[in-house]
Amino acid sequence: MGRQRPLLRLAALIGATILLPILVRPVVAAEIWIFAVAAMALNLIFGYTGMLSFGQATFFGVAAYTAGLMMIHWKAGLLVCLLAGIVVGALTAAVIGYFCIQRLGIYFIMLTFCFNQMFFFVAYKWTSVTGGDDGLPGIPRPPLALGPLSIPLNTSLRYYVFVAVVFLVLFYAMKRIVESPLGLIFQSIRENPSRAAAVGYDVKRFKWIAFTIAGAFTGLAGVLYSMMFGIVPLEVISWVTSGDIVFMVLIGGIGHLYGPLIGAAAFKWLSEAVSVLWERWPLILGVALVLVVLFLRGGLVEALARLRLALARRRLAAGAGAESA
Amino acid sequence: MNVALLAGAVLNGLVTGMIYALIGIGLSLILGLLNIPNFAHGVLYALGAYVLFSAAVGPVGFWGGLLLALVAVAALGGAIEYLAVRRLYRVHPDYILLLTFGLSLIMTEAIILVWGPVGITFQPPVLLAGGVDLGVTFYPKYRLAVMVVAAAVVLACWLFIEKTKYGAIIRAGIEDRDMVSVLGINVRRVFTVTFAAGAGLAGLGGAFMVPVRGLIPTMGIDILPFAFVVVVLGGLGSLPGAILGGLLVGVVQSLMTAIWAPGADFSVFALMALGLLARPQGLLGQR
Repeated sequence: MGRQRPLLRLAALIGATILLPILVRPVVAAEIWIFAVAAMALNLIFGYTGMLSFGQATFFGVAAYTAGLMMIHWKAGLLVCLLAGIVVGALTAAVIGYFCIQRLGIYFIMLTFCFNQMFFFVAYKWTSVTGGDDGLPGIPRPPLALGPLSIPLNTSLRYYVFVAVVFLVLFYAMKRIVESPLGLIFQSIRENPSRAAAVGYDVKRFKWIAFTIAGAFTGLAGVLYSMMFGIVPLEVISWVTSGDIVFMVLIGGIGHLYGPLIGAAAFKWLSEAVSVLWERWPLILGVALVLVVLFLRGGLVEALARLRLALARRRLAAGAGAESA
Repeated sequence: MNVALLAGAVLNGLVTGMIYALIGIGLSLILGLLNIPNFAHGVLYALGAYVLFSAAVGPVGFWGGLLLALVAVAALGGAIEYLAVRRLYRVHPDYILLLTFGLSLIMTEAIILVWGPVGITFQPPVLLAGGVDLGVTFYPKYRLAVMVVAAAVVLACWLFIEKTKYGAIIRAGIEDRDMVSVLGINVRRVFTVTFAAGAGLAGLGGAFMVPVRGLIPTMGIDILPFAFVVVVLGGLGSLPGAILGGLLVGVVQSLMTAIWAPGADFSVFALMALGLLARPQGLLGQR
């Protein structure tokens, strides 16, 4: 039973990727998995390694702009852009991360935030390249070219299928990372950095590795985002997007493999559904965040676990009642 | 660049710098004492501005409005600490950060609901309308007055923290709050008072800025990153640090705007990153 559960969950996830475009518009569905990748990456450094980064939009944005410019000016292919996203995301994270991991706690958070702001202002003011406040429009969505085969991704459903497949591959990769010996080292650093160091692990080096891996994942997510709407809006690199990503991880459940996925889905679905009803929807988001922080710090994953526990207790009580009668 | 332009830029920098110092003092004390990066601090600043606006167009008037902004935002800050932040002292500080982030979303939207999404311009009171000739340049009277009054408030805060018994308790709390608690002082109450006072100072800073920059609902979100730069650059929990940091950020930003405007905001954050890496405890911080 215990060994089959992970497989069951994986099957449920694949089922969810098939069902989602039926439940919501394919565009929203694609956006959910794109942000799920970014949230998953933050979960690796925040949930598993214990470093809260308030600057993930840096890698998301830099990769989105890079891929956007490559597609506009060089007519770059799809896979080339994805690869560029991984490389640019990882490189940016490696450089920024190298400085950030030198500090702990609030100072770490502030440094990630501060670098995010620097990149934001470059994107905001360098209008000749990035379009500044108006965003970078006119990005063509290249077809998926596999050798001689060329599949156009010109409908939102086709693009959704592509995004879903990429997402599943990335999720599996993340699962392997977290469950590998490397993932265990990350978790030991979260639990007790000084003990991890005492056992002989170079804590800074492993933090740096975690930060860089997360940068690669986030970069890829940024590229997928830039192709989706054909525009890179300035918001993708602002600290509010960084906050959104933190928010997704938190409402889903920190340090849980499926938490960020549930969080991203809940966040994007909620903002899509509520923004149609009410222009001031961030108010509801804020209330939800406050309630989660005060009363449900494990996020939706914990809510499900609590519900299951309560049901099991009730069944047990009912069973005991039947026996005594 | 001519002398008049340069003098104007420096004066502008000192005016915003004093306001940054005002916001920074509260943020720094909250960070130092309670260990909270208060992401709601920017919105408290914005609320102060809007309270002044409503008061000034109403029967209270501009001067009463300044006082009202201070008191109302301080009361709100106290309530936030007492009702929400207090519940989270025993869990990881990251959660308090997220709580204040949520509160900032709520309050920004609340401002839009009450006062509308459009920016509002506001004229300084009649008494301080117009400008004065300073010899090198012609400068608005209101801005000079703000610089002087804000400097006086900052100085009063400094004297309070350095010379009074209550100030000594706050400083001791920043050093070692458990020890203060052991000595029989109600640290929880000190937390509430500090949070309220910090919020009030942010509100007052916002109110001062209304005739200078006008009102816009995002003003809180816009100023928050700069407030963090001020605090981190000066040193967490250091009051003189917040003052120095505020003036430094204000003048650098203003001078850069005069020299090469597109790089002005970038240079502020580059300054902070360099500061953090070279001297993580801040210019005048101890830890």
